[in-house]
Amino acid sequence: MTILEDKPSKSAVGARRVGVAAWRRLSRQPAANVVIVFVMFQLVVIAAALAFPEDFRYLSPTNIALLFRAIPVLGIMALGVGMLMISGEFDLSVGSVFTLTSYTMAILYSAGWPLSLAVAMTLGLGALLGAINGIITVKTAIPSFITTLGSMLVVRGIVRWVSEGQSASFLPGRLFEQLLVGSIYGVQAQILWFAGLAAVAGVLLHHTRLGNHIYLVGGNLNAAVAVGVNANRVKVAAFVLSALGATIAGILSTTRVSTVTASQGVGFELKAIAICVIGGLFLTGGRGTVLGIVVGAFLMYTVEDVLLLLRAPGFYLEMFIGAILVGAVIMNTWVAKRGA
Amino acid sequence: MSNESALFAVRGISKRYGHVQALAEVDFEIDRREVVGLLGDNGAGKSTLVKIISGIESPDSGAFQKDGRPVTVRTRKDSERLGIETIYQDAALVGSASIMRNFFAGRELTNSFGLLRLGRMNEIAMEVLEGTIRIAGIASPDLLVEALSGGQRQAVAIARAVYFKTEMLVLDEPTSALSVRETEKVLAHVTQLKEEGISSVFISHNLYHAYNVCDRFVILSRGRVVRNVRKGETSIKELTDVIVMH
Repeated sequence: MTILEDKPSKSAVGARRVGVAAWRRLSRQPAANVVIVFVMFQLVVIAAALAFPEDFRYLSPTNIALLFRAIPVLGIMALGVGMLMISGEFDLSVGSVFTLTSYTMAILYSAGWPLSLAVAMTLGLGALLGAINGIITVKTAIPSFITTLGSMLVVRGIVRWVSEGQSASFLPGRLFEQLLVGSIYGVQAQILWFAGLAAVAGVLLHHTRLGNHIYLVGGNLNAAVAVGVNANRVKVAAFVLSALGATIAGILSTTRVSTVTASQGVGFELKAIAICVIGGLFLTGGRGTVLGIVVGAFLMYTVEDVLLLLRAPGFYLEMFIGAILVGAVIMNTWVAKRGA
Repeated sequence: MSNESALFAVRGISKRYGHVQALAEVDFEIDRREVVGLLGDNGAGKSTLVKIISGIESPDSGAFQKDGRPVTVRTRKDSERLGIETIYQDAALVGSASIMRNFFAGRELTNSFGLLRLGRMNEIAMEVLEGTIRIAGIASPDLLVEALSGGQRQAVAIARAVYFKTEMLVLDEPTSALSVRETEKVLAHVTQLKEEGISSVFISHNLYHAYNVCDRFVILSRGRVVRNVRKGETSIKELTDVIVMH
């Protein structure tokens, strides 16, 4: 019968070729480049921290604790935003959803609702906001950039209306605080939540039918529909996941600082997208891994942290993050082309 | 040439898009172990008929029969259940996804916890690709489809159809984007599948490709069937004349 073969491979395959092939195989792994950059960066920074422990306190327990408290909030948001980006859509409203759901939890609890019910309502509200974004996007077939730009503004407006410019306090008691933001055997609870949710996202995305459909719909919408995937349902589900990520991030953040203000979360949507892009996701969808998102979050925060420790002026931070973002996209695009 | 026990038949299919009568009272049928060439110039109605057979579009009027019994085809799932698989020009594959994930797209195997059986699906995909379709040069089911050549992509789509117990393939311009060498291989696949009992509808602009593999030719022009003829009773010259004349 017929054979569709590649060109016959040259017989002279030296050991160097094998090494090159192994390297190429590795570099084709979706999250490989961001992991390599992250590891190299950590090696340099840790070496510097060991050489100058007094002047560069990267490895000090205070600094590590600070990082482990800071990374999970945007990291968890990025998990949701990333799953949606893989399905080929955007969510600019996560920053506003983050704030509105935080207020909701604080206000309901202050009004005397049982804590569990307040949290459940908050999660429900988050899921609802995501579903509304999703349904508007798929039913009207408008770009989600526009839908969620609109809902970003609308939800932010609701926040200002609900809060009347006042901050709300949230003091849920020791047990809840201990569980969400305390420390367990010296490890910050937030980082454990981040790890747990990343694991859940990883299983969902890489090991379930819904996850597979998220990749297919984002990769080639027409092909996914042609094989019978219900693309609209998949996209709405992805919008719900995105809003849920923002809601959970809000719950953690509010529990840690015990208060919500109306300007919280402004600009988070772009940071979450930046994390995803650094982690190897494409704005066009269909590509990316949970590992990439997690490493992207760690990379962005550790770079920021190092700049702070070096007492770089504030504007350096934004410049560096901007440069990393563009550099990461150039690298990811290049790797994807080589993989093809 | 009416045949009551044809594998699949459509009768009196009409479809209008606004002012355009895309199909008018079209009869079309295909037997078991038969490759039918569906020919015609641009705008003849070939694509519309393919969409209707695949369940992507519904006709305004007309009936479907499978093995002589009336059936309904309103969605892609309906045609899938009848054993019809459509392979498009771009092979309807997701370039950024792996071969295996394309192979099982929309029909993933899961265990009792709802988790994908990745190992088993990898095994099956490789088995079918190497055993049934005999594609060489595909080292792993993890390769992304965008890394494959046009012919290999068609082969993946055909392998998928074979595994999911397709009885009838609809190949929509399968060779239009392929090199000469790859075209030969896709044509050979169609012939091999016929020997294994899978019929094909072969839609093409290229009469030479169609003439090679088809047993019968149905020529559409402006939404009507203008010729239905067996290969033995015609020639490329005559088929060309019919298409050009109408």
